[in-house]
Amino acid sequence: MADAIVVQDLTKVYGGRLGDSVVAVDGISFQVKQGEIFGFIGPNGAGKTTTIKMLLGLLFPTSGKAEVLGMPAGDIEAKRRISYLPESPYFYEHMTGAEVIDFYCRLFKMDAPTRKQKTGELLERVGLSQDGNRTLRQYSKGMLQRIGVAQALINDPDLLFFDEPTSGLDPIAHKDIQELILSLKKQGKTVFLSSHQLSDVETVCDRVAIINRGKLVKIGTLDELLHAGRTVVTLSRPGEDLVNQLSPLAERVLTDGEQVRFFVETEDNVHKLLDASRGKATLVSVVPQRQTLEDLFVEIVREVRK
Amino acid sequence: MIIWSIAKTTVGDALRKKVLQIFLVVAIGLIIISLSFSQTLSFSTREGSATDIMLVKSFGLGLMAVAGWLISVVMGVSLIPQEIERRTIYTILSKPVKRYEFIIGKYLGAILTLAINVGLMGIVFIAVTVFKAWGAETGTATTSAGITEAGMQKIGVFDPNTIWGVVMIYLQFMVLSAVVLFFSVFLTPTVNFFMGLGVYIIGIMGSMTQSLASAEKANAFVKMFYKVVHIVVPNFDKFQVTNQLLHPETHITSMAKYTAQVGLYALLYTLVMMTLAVIFFERKEV
Repeated sequence: MADAIVVQDLTKVYGGRLGDSVVAVDGISFQVKQGEIFGFIGPNGAGKTTTIKMLLGLLFPTSGKAEVLGMPAGDIEAKRRISYLPESPYFYEHMTGAEVIDFYCRLFKMDAPTRKQKTGELLERVGLSQDGNRTLRQYSKGMLQRIGVAQALINDPDLLFFDEPTSGLDPIAHKDIQELILSLKKQGKTVFLSSHQLSDVETVCDRVAIINRGKLVKIGTLDELLHAGRTVVTLSRPGEDLVNQLSPLAERVLTDGEQVRFFVETEDNVHKLLDASRGKATLVSVVPQRQTLEDLFVEIVREVRK
Repeated sequence: MIIWSIAKTTVGDALRKKVLQIFLVVAIGLIIISLSFSQTLSFSTREGSATDIMLVKSFGLGLMAVAGWLISVVMGVSLIPQEIERRTIYTILSKPVKRYEFIIGKYLGAILTLAINVGLMGIVFIAVTVFKAWGAETGTATTSAGITEAGMQKIGVFDPNTIWGVVMIYLQFMVLSAVVLFFSVFLTPTVNFFMGLGVYIIGIMGSMTQSLASAEKANAFVKMFYKVVHIVVPNFDKFQVTNQLLHPETHITSMAKYTAQVGLYALLYTLVMMTLAVIFFERKEV
């Protein structure tokens, strides 16, 4: 399957004439496959939004290549098949929700009956059919975000760029956006998701890229990026001697009343611990713990800062 | 369709700006108040009535010029920067919208807003001058010291050339809007505001820069400098017709013909400014 996005040695340098240049994006390369939900994460100022803006043709790369749906980034034909939901989108406040959708439909040169039909469908889809005739200044942040989502779906795009789509939303709206992204995946759409909500990324994304200070630090599937982690073995009433005997096998030992939890790093040590405790204590549970995306993200960012 | 949609949205947005509403309301209020202006405190003499009408016309046209300047510059300086600040430009330019369509749509919206504002002020102004002329008609004719016969003949009759005066005000601010929009592609609103002021002041002195460009005693460099200034800066002096309207004896033969000529100049200048704005906006990072 062809790639939806191809980025090669993409670099963006701001300023420079007075010697105060800032390298926002530093020679990054990656591909996003069609039908993939691709997470793009990094701390504030890492270069996420700059990269998205270059892919949309709003910013021009200093060097390198950016292709969207096989066309150069910013190509008008590519724009017919993509959409963008910026972080905390703002729309003309004097317009009603329906007028805003109609306005964006006009940008695709849709005729009046199509616009009317689309507006109704999209307001329904984002749960604003009852509020379509209210002006946007009467909308809450969550409702504005829903209008943002609706305008991003007008052209039934093949590729969607979502920049912090769940920022500042209540849990219901948050969940709705997550479900929307998953439904887009089912329809075979490609989603480029930039977010600080790492749990969202972990839930919906097929592959993830981590960017820090303009450089791509890691890229891969969640299975590739997140190692198996450790296993927590919980024993009941193990006795002091046994705890002392087993402690060298664990990274950490926690006592909680009659129960003692052993945090074990390797599979070999798990087996040794289970063999040694057999008949001497009651085994309560053996729970493997996978590293979370948040753990990985914090680990990488701290490492780079060092 | 795209240009028109962007223009319509720009008009809707601009008409709701409180600051522009205040300029308009104050200007209209002052034009209405000018009805009470009278040098003779009554319409008892034809001379006094003629002076009153001149006063109302002069005040009204001047006021419309000030309000028109404020509206076109205050609106123009924020046209592009505000779209970037609010991030509305991102959702628009990420759609299949060509950059020139966006910039032309914004300009069209700006001059439509200006047309609505100048139009409203113009209607009130013309109504006030008609009312004043009607008042003079009912007055008593006496001697006419200081007012020429040509001027006296206008008393009691609404001068249709007044409309061309309003059109001229609109045309000059249509040009200024294009200049300010061009600067708004790369200047901050505050810097652009003062640029707009500077360009207008230099433009108003169009006759002076022309004279300096052809002054016999000036050296070649100075002459060349003023020549460039005269060509590059829009000649807003051409649009100033208040004197001709107030003193019919110095009347331009055909006000309609003169307005058409100046209108053509305004159109050409606007075209050049918009072409430059489009060229610069094509490479603008948003």
